[in-house]
Amino acid sequence: MGHSIREFEEGYEVGRRLLAFRSECGFVTATWGLVCPRCGVRDLAELPLSGEGRIAAFTVQTVPSEEFVNDAPYAYVTVDLPEGGRITGWMAGVRTEEELSIGDSVHFAPGYRRGVQFERGSGASRRD
Amino acid sequence: MRETWVIGAATSRFGKLTETGREAASRVALQAVDSAGIDPKRIGYTFVSNCFGVAEHQAHLGPLVNTALGIPEVPSATIESACSSSSAGLHEAYLHVASGLDDAVLVVGAERLSHLDTLRATSYFAMGADYPFETRNGATFPGLYATLANAHQKRFGTRSEELGAVAVKNHANGARNPNAHFQKEISLSTYLASPVIASPLRLYDCCPFSDGASALVVAAREAFPRPPSEPLVVRASVRSGSIADLHDRPDMTGLPASRVAGEKAFRMAKLLPNDIDFAEVHDCFTIAEVMALEDLGFFPKGEAARAAVEGTTAIDGRFPVNPSGGLKAKGHPVSATGAAQVVEVFEQFNQRAGRRAVPRTRTALTHNVGATGGSCSVHIFSRRDD
Repeated sequence: MGHSIREFEEGYEVGRRLLAFRSECGFVTATWGLVCPRCGVRDLAELPLSGEGRIAAFTVQTVPSEEFVNDAPYAYVTVDLPEGGRITGWMAGVRTEEELSIGDSVHFAPGYRRGVQFERGSGASRRD
Repeated sequence: MRETWVIGAATSRFGKLTETGREAASRVALQAVDSAGIDPKRIGYTFVSNCFGVAEHQAHLGPLVNTALGIPEVPSATIESACSSSSAGLHEAYLHVASGLDDAVLVVGAERLSHLDTLRATSYFAMGADYPFETRNGATFPGLYATLANAHQKRFGTRSEELGAVAVKNHANGARNPNAHFQKEISLSTYLASPVIASPLRLYDCCPFSDGASALVVAAREAFPRPPSEPLVVRASVRSGSIADLHDRPDMTGLPASRVAGEKAFRMAKLLPNDIDFAEVHDCFTIAEVMALEDLGFFPKGEAARAAVEGTTAIDGRFPVNPSGGLKAKGHPVSATGAAQVVEVFEQFNQRAGRRAVPRTRTALTHNVGATGGSCSVHIFSRRDD
């Protein structure tokens, strides 16, 4: 994986795309690294992402860190990608946990301000 | 490997320090050396942990502590592993002593964050996570453990009342601990009425930001065969690691590093979970105690949430967990926590735990997690055989 962490950040904040990699063993990660943490291969192929996903787990945070002080409350979401693997991000305007469910469809909403931001998707919820 | 003991232990009261982390670290270090009944000059190495020393404009604490103890020539190193820092220091000390490199090693952990406001302290705690891939996407530390709680609830039906029972139990234990940050019992209704910090976790699911310092003296039995206190025989000292980012792990209902460290520790000690009389586990949040009890094999997966409700893990229960009050009530001065868990075992083994004394003290386990389990320590202790 020859990319830098900066490329990930510029990817979602400037280039409006998510960056992920798949190794030979099938492990998919949207986190920077040099070697696959599962199988140890170094040849990680860049994997185009659709920007769609479903919530694997979430929390609505009322006490933020300093960088998100003006955004609370908001949701911090862990998202299952249809391409495999997971990515994390945040969703503005979510005030209570009743507003989201595991399995809800979300999509990448680039260019707002920082980090990976998601919005509610158009797909049906899968609350299995 | 030589038989290795913990022969001295000391802690400050947790809460708000009126002195610097450096002063507190040095003071408890000297108390630990005194409790071991040895001359400070017998110390061969000092491992110091002070993750957030930079918040006090201080790094490189080891030589400062050693100089304060009158042993400036003793080598030292700073050990940082987030919340598991001083248990990582204990592991290093064990390796030094068991291997024969040194006869006695000092382990010190200290933290002071109370001079920071909640927002700043929240940011410091989040430094143990992955900044560009977790924190920058909005995660706080409560948020990451809330993610685990959300996944655990979804898979096992874990209820808020069950998490609340952990908080109620650990506050009850903390109320019996004169060194605890919170020495106040709470009711389940108080827990349920507390504000949500990161859903589903409420205020009383979360450990406090605490100041504090703890220290241990680790020594070879053959070099110090008659310590003044009942020593802790180190039966297992294990560190483990896992994929750093929570979301990149296949399962988010537990911490694989805890499971691996537990399995290795039980093998090393030649013991089974049923052989352990009591445990101090890493309950930075109530869900963390539940996951620890499952990951370490004390309860089947998905069944530990009932333990506090049913009284199994109370001080007078079948298997007392966190008699000190745990991180939840005793407090969590990050770098002091791992050593403080062992201080509690030392006090229990020496019948100095007062109203929080557990019924059986032949064996004990301590479990200390770095961040969301990228690192983990498990130690198992027993009484000496003779």
